[in-house]
Amino acid sequence: MSGETTGALRVEGLRFGYGGTTVLDGIDLAVEEGSFLALLGPSGSGKSTLLRLIAGLEQPGRGRVLTGDRQVAGPGIERAVVFQNYALFPWMRVVDNVAEGVRKAAPGISRAEARVRAVDYLERVGLRDVAERYPFELSGGMQQRAAIARALALESPFLLMDEPFGALDPVNRARLQDLLIGLWQARTPRPTVVFVTHDVDEALLLADRVAVLGASPGRVIEDFAVPFERPRSRAALFADDRFHALRESIAEALDADTLARLASA
Amino acid sequence: MISETSTLDAVSLPAQQRERAEAASVRPGRLAFAWEPWLLWGALVAAWQAIAGAIAGQGNPLLPPPAVVLDALWQSLPELFTGTWSSLLILMPGFALAVVAGVALGLVTGTSPRLGRAFFPFAKVAAPVPPTVYIPYAIAVLPTFHLSATFVVFVGAFWPVFQNTVAGAHAVEGRHRDNAAVLGFSRFEYLRKVVFPASLPHIFSGMGVGLGFGFILLTVAELFGANAGLGRFVQYYADFADYPRMVAGILYTGVVTWAAMTALERVRARALFWLR
Repeated sequence: MSGETTGALRVEGLRFGYGGTTVLDGIDLAVEEGSFLALLGPSGSGKSTLLRLIAGLEQPGRGRVLTGDRQVAGPGIERAVVFQNYALFPWMRVVDNVAEGVRKAAPGISRAEARVRAVDYLERVGLRDVAERYPFELSGGMQQRAAIARALALESPFLLMDEPFGALDPVNRARLQDLLIGLWQARTPRPTVVFVTHDVDEALLLADRVAVLGASPGRVIEDFAVPFERPRSRAALFADDRFHALRESIAEALDADTLARLASA
Repeated sequence: MISETSTLDAVSLPAQQRERAEAASVRPGRLAFAWEPWLLWGALVAAWQAIAGAIAGQGNPLLPPPAVVLDALWQSLPELFTGTWSSLLILMPGFALAVVAGVALGLVTGTSPRLGRAFFPFAKVAAPVPPTVYIPYAIAVLPTFHLSATFVVFVGAFWPVFQNTVAGAHAVEGRHRDNAAVLGFSRFEYLRKVVFPASLPHIFSGMGVGLGFGFILLTVAELFGANAGLGRFVQYYADFADYPRMVAGILYTGVVTWAAMTALERVRARALFWLR
């Protein structure tokens, strides 16, 4: 864990666009240290762009992103990112992919030691047995586990996830959701998570807070606290009236935004 | 619970991908016998025999029949082997140097916009110059024929390798770039661990073209001033109108070129196992 930044995240007056298009405008967010925020929105709401701005992969036109009191100027290993499309390096063995993360978190350790530690991280995501395989030999779900292992290996105070389970089948998706929450809760201190999704149920299952984004330009239209105690179970959530009420409110917020956009068009 | 899910995961691995994984572990080259190519070979030799028979008159035939060429080939083998060695001593250093320089320069200029802006306009002018035009000058200026021929092979192989490496560096997928950035790779790490492997498919196509050019330039250069070598062999017996040996030399050069291309293809398949 890099000690300089605390795990609180703030986004202030953020604006981003290219050409004549404004993708995001007037984004303000404050994410508490160790909490789990879901960014929920339809396609075109700029939620992935917002995540890339937080990651430092894009630079805002106006406004800023702060981790603790430090302004984000570019990508950094204190903000680990998991992308949607299993972005492992296909020419490296799974263990070596993870070892790249280990070596960045612990500079100066030997290649062999990095590999040993990488296997530990793979163990945590249930991939010890395929450590020496190449990504193309793994299913999508397994590749995404490996990507999570690599992000964990960075031991970052922030974990940014861009629709990480969007390309998985429902069974694998549910498994990885459980795995993620288990890993997140197991770490002390807990990393601050920003999780992009367009799946309302996923957001409510995982997050402490759901920021709902509207489209054209992307902005935060609603911000819901998710009150359910952890550990959460899908069955308990579906039996809970508050869950259905929240779901309803989020759907309404999204519909209202869509209708407003149609009316103005 | 975690290990349990992983076994399940392995079981649910799509059949297609598992096959792929298994196919990758099986050694290549064990394909079913294909008879179609042999049919064409047979037809070509038969046609050769027929035409050679039809135009055969007294004296020196312009197209010697297969048996005569085969005999000439057999008798010339020692000379051809020496020639091959002499040619490879020009080709290999020139080609190797071209690959090293082309890849290194291609990776660096392909990932640095400033260096790219400086270098690409020059490359645009210099690359299309047919390298054969350098041959007389190289022979005149450089101290030995070996050195000038190596230089010309280098120039001919360099540009395709360089241009393809640049194309490969430009084609690095955004997700690999993002990952390198997130992992905080230094510029050198980025080049070595990401851009270079990601560009390998392009680099190998460049090497294929470069090796072909290398052979062309090698044999052309040997026509000018060599005292051994494959191109020299053909030129020498052409001067004596010894067509059987000449045709044998052409066929032999074809086989050597084919062998070199096949070797490169093998290396390519090995290096790019992770592709698809």
